[in-house]
Amino acid sequence: MNEFKGHVGIGPAVEGIALAAHDNFSTRYDLDRDRGIVSRPSHKLYGENYVGRILVLNAAKGGVASAWMLREMVRKEMAPLALLLNDANPVMAQGAAFAQLPLIDRFDTDITAAIRTGDHLHIDPAQGLVRVLR
Amino acid sequence: MKLNDLEQSMLEGAHGRAAQWAIDYQRSVGTFFDARDFVPVRVIHMSTDRETMGDAGVAFLEELAALPLEERRPRAFATADFRGFDEETFRFLLPGRDLVAQSAEAVDALGKLGVVTSHAYVNDHSVTAPAFGEACGYSGTPSVVYMNGIVGARCNFEAGPSSLAAFFTGRVPRYGFHLDGARHATHAFRLDFTPATVVDWGVVGALIGRRLNSYWSVPAIEIVGDRPTVLELNHMALSMASYGSIAMFHVIGVTPEAPDWETACGGKTLTPETLSQSDLDKFYDEWGGAGEKLDVVALATPQLDMPEIVQIAELLDGSTVHPDTTLLVYTPIEIKEACARIGLNGVIERAGGRVVHGHDFFATFAKEIREAHGWERLMTHSVKAVNICEGYGYKPTPAAIPRCIESAIAGKVLP
Repeated sequence: MNEFKGHVGIGPAVEGIALAAHDNFSTRYDLDRDRGIVSRPSHKLYGENYVGRILVLNAAKGGVASAWMLREMVRKEMAPLALLLNDANPVMAQGAAFAQLPLIDRFDTDITAAIRTGDHLHIDPAQGLVRVLR
Repeated sequence: MKLNDLEQSMLEGAHGRAAQWAIDYQRSVGTFFDARDFVPVRVIHMSTDRETMGDAGVAFLEELAALPLEERRPRAFATADFRGFDEETFRFLLPGRDLVAQSAEAVDALGKLGVVTSHAYVNDHSVTAPAFGEACGYSGTPSVVYMNGIVGARCNFEAGPSSLAAFFTGRVPRYGFHLDGARHATHAFRLDFTPATVVDWGVVGALIGRRLNSYWSVPAIEIVGDRPTVLELNHMALSMASYGSIAMFHVIGVTPEAPDWETACGGKTLTPETLSQSDLDKFYDEWGGAGEKLDVVALATPQLDMPEIVQIAELLDGSTVHPDTTLLVYTPIEIKEACARIGLNGVIERAGGRVVHGHDFFATFAKEIREAHGWERLMTHSVKAVNICEGYGYKPTPAAIPRCIESAIAGKVLP
């Protein structure tokens, strides 16, 4: 069983299936939040359904929108289960805290290379820990 | 995080439920970023566009506004750039959707809370502004990078709920760009050409943003040629923020914390990467569109200033926008009214364009607008808008204002 250590995160512990790529992430720029799919054609996860998955991506990018949007996505059941990023920015952290969506970043390795799409994960933000159960 | 007596009493509920929620929320974000303590702020800018807030955000505001006054007293001055109030244009852009009615709930709630809903987008110049070195709680990414880089105030991205929290506590967690060390350059760039237009400056920002792609990166840029205008710096800055989440930058010899390389870099030596005209050309080539039918021209992001509207009126005077193309010119309501007084709006409207106030194209249901009209090809002078509108299914072409207007008249993307 592999285990990866990140910085202490935000939100509750969860278990679920990973959807991973090395691309960056913005809720506004990259997602069709009504259909629950990645909508930016140049994104490696283009066309993938992200709802209920643990999104594993490189860095948070772009603007202010994610802070409000994550809570609305949770309300509409159109949110990922959790976010694992190499680098979050303040907007993503503020959004995760507002939505109580699990988020961990700053791992001891490139998390997008360590985790594959389809991996079964247990994540514990309070400890900054990700376990691969696959 | 270390809390002082006041902050601890907020956490314990002695200053009302709004402050209690706010300090607890800010502490969780501050802990995430290893903040040691809080820093007081005087001015707040709150991003509250209806699209991003969603029903959940509006409901949250309404819950706070319904509290008795003693449970929700503010500790700072806040403005909100709430948008969506050009009723006539919005009825045209998205028929069947009553955004005005939908927005009214949020505006009422913000007003009850004591937030000044100024309706201007990125009101860096028009509302009380922080001074050099002052900590502030600004929300919009363009405003934050503007305050840090151009004004020399100190700010992290304090997005919607975060700036709302700062409104109730009068402070923000002290991490990131509130700290001296984080403001020094981490990467260096040198332009070996002079950008010709604000769009070129926006492309420079996009190229730097793509290369760095981290909130914690601070580019320092050496330029040749004339000193850039604030508008040019603003286009570069908001484009860096859009493409790379950049919140702080220096231009050597221009911005206030970069009188020279050594000061900008905090004594470090960085080797600059050169950006050339060919890098810009490659960026423009990515988007193409020449010869294609043009559905919409959106001149926004940031909303236009008066000289730009003068320029558009001059370009349109005596011409007519093609009937298959929609021309939208976005500006704050104060500028729109001033332009109306000197006849500029009439020139643009007689030519078939629309002068739109109060909301920005990309921020107000641009995807739904595209679907309602069957639009694809969009032109804009905002490289940030290009980035966002691509995600909303448009095929955007970045171009300077004259080429945008000439294309709108022709009904197709001119080379």
